[in-house]
Amino acid sequence: MSLFAYSLVIFILATAVATVLFRDVLSVIIVFGAYSLGMAILYTFLLAPDVAMTEAAIGAGVTTLLLLLTIARTTRPTTDALRERIHVPAVVVVGAFVLLLCTAVLPDMYPVGSTSTPVWSNPDVTQHYITETYEQTGVENAVTSVLAAYRGFDTFGEAVVVFAAGVSTLLVLKREVFA
Amino acid sequence: MIELLMDRYTYVLMFVLLGLGIYMVIASENLVKKLIGVSLFQTAIFLFFISMAYIDVEGASAPIVPHHGEPGEVMVASPLPQVIVLTAIVVGIALTAVGLALIIRIYAEYGTLREDTLREVRADE
Amino acid sequence: MSDYDDTYTESQVIMTAVKIIAPFTLTYGLFMTFHGGDAPGGGFQGGTIVGVTVLMLAFAFGIEPTRQWLKNSVLTGLVAGGVVIFGAIGLGMIALGGDFLEFTMLKEVFHIKPKWGLEAVEIAGISLIVSGVIISLFFTMAAGFSPERPSGTGGISSADNAAEGPDSPVAEVGDDD
Repeated sequence: MSLFAYSLVIFILATAVATVLFRDVLSVIIVFGAYSLGMAILYTFLLAPDVAMTEAAIGAGVTTLLLLLTIARTTRPTTDALRERIHVPAVVVVGAFVLLLCTAVLPDMYPVGSTSTPVWSNPDVTQHYITETYEQTGVENAVTSVLAAYRGFDTFGEAVVVFAAGVSTLLVLKREVFA
Repeated sequence: MIELLMDRYTYVLMFVLLGLGIYMVIASENLVKKLIGVSLFQTAIFLFFISMAYIDVEGASAPIVPHHGEPGEVMVASPLPQVIVLTAIVVGIALTAVGLALIIRIYAEYGTLREDTLREVRADE
Repeated sequence: MSDYDDTYTESQVIMTAVKIIAPFTLTYGLFMTFHGGDAPGGGFQGGTIVGVTVLMLAFAFGIEPTRQWLKNSVLTGLVAGGVVIFGAIGLGMIALGGDFLEFTMLKEVFHIKPKWGLEAVEIAGISLIVSGVIISLFFTMAAGFSPERPSGTGGISSADNAAEGPDSPVAEVGDDD
């Protein structure tokens, strides 16, 4: 609820629109990196430093590098036009979708930062973890305790998914670089 | 109306980002741009989860719970949605990398990344 | 064809900057991994930052030298070892008489905080997997795909191929709009 948050939102909107509109793929990739960085700062503002650090390293760092490698390995269409042509039917459909969300769904949302949201106020959900975390696991960072202890089985699955994705990249590219 | 938008600014941002992501997937001819659209869509969902966890009260902090705090008095953001997003970001980049690998492979097979040209090339075969 | 090629250009600015920054990012990543219990941080965050440090080195000093410096078996070991250790810790809790990954068993059997089980999973499991996968994804994508190259070649010979230029056996089909 501050000027900082609003200017950040405007920055993110501007970079997102630029991502959509730029014609040159290299420009799109670079603007998308800036977008991810803005998003990471917004996460910090929204009290999620763990997520912000991951987003800054992965969204702005690794994604940008992998996209750059991809266009270096494939092609970057040469173009003189600065901006992509507007696809009118898509704009109409997507515009209607966003308008529908904003008119029908938005009024039912809780205001940002409200303590009465079901996520936060329900004593059986968040409150349980906040009060019991140190008692039960001995760590102060509730994110770590939920990640590794309360939701450890899920995290194990996620780790295996990441592992599988690494293996499938090797399979798709038929590489034996790790021979 | 204005007040509604100002109060729920992250949700408005999320809706617009969802729209931009879908538009990019539909309208871009270039496969790399389509994949960037998917990532954009993904970050919009992440933003939704993070804004649900956020609380805007005096002295609210990140979900680090001091062990000497009074139970029930601790004002921290909810850790649960944050954990989902944390793992989803890492899984997301791994899956994006698989998509990019497929794009490299498509380019090696067909020599193009444009969707319409790709369709013609495949129809000729 | 493509506007890029694989020839690595040496840049004094980037090399010097990376030389100065890399020790700090590595330390920051390790700090975050080992300090996930009581401060923001943990396996996912620390692992990515350690991985990004290697990516940064590869960008400054050339991808191929970095890959040879960091042995392929090390990367494979990191990723596979991380999954195995994570699973083994989980199964160890079953051996102690609990459920899969039930760290409260540590308290009952060894009288130590469950915290150490969490830290073991974060440090020895998640951070290894995440950093290893990020580095190996980068190297795999950098190596690219070229159909004429027989699979089964080791890293060295593919390095020679990659250095000769972008693989472009297929004619470009009107990619320029």
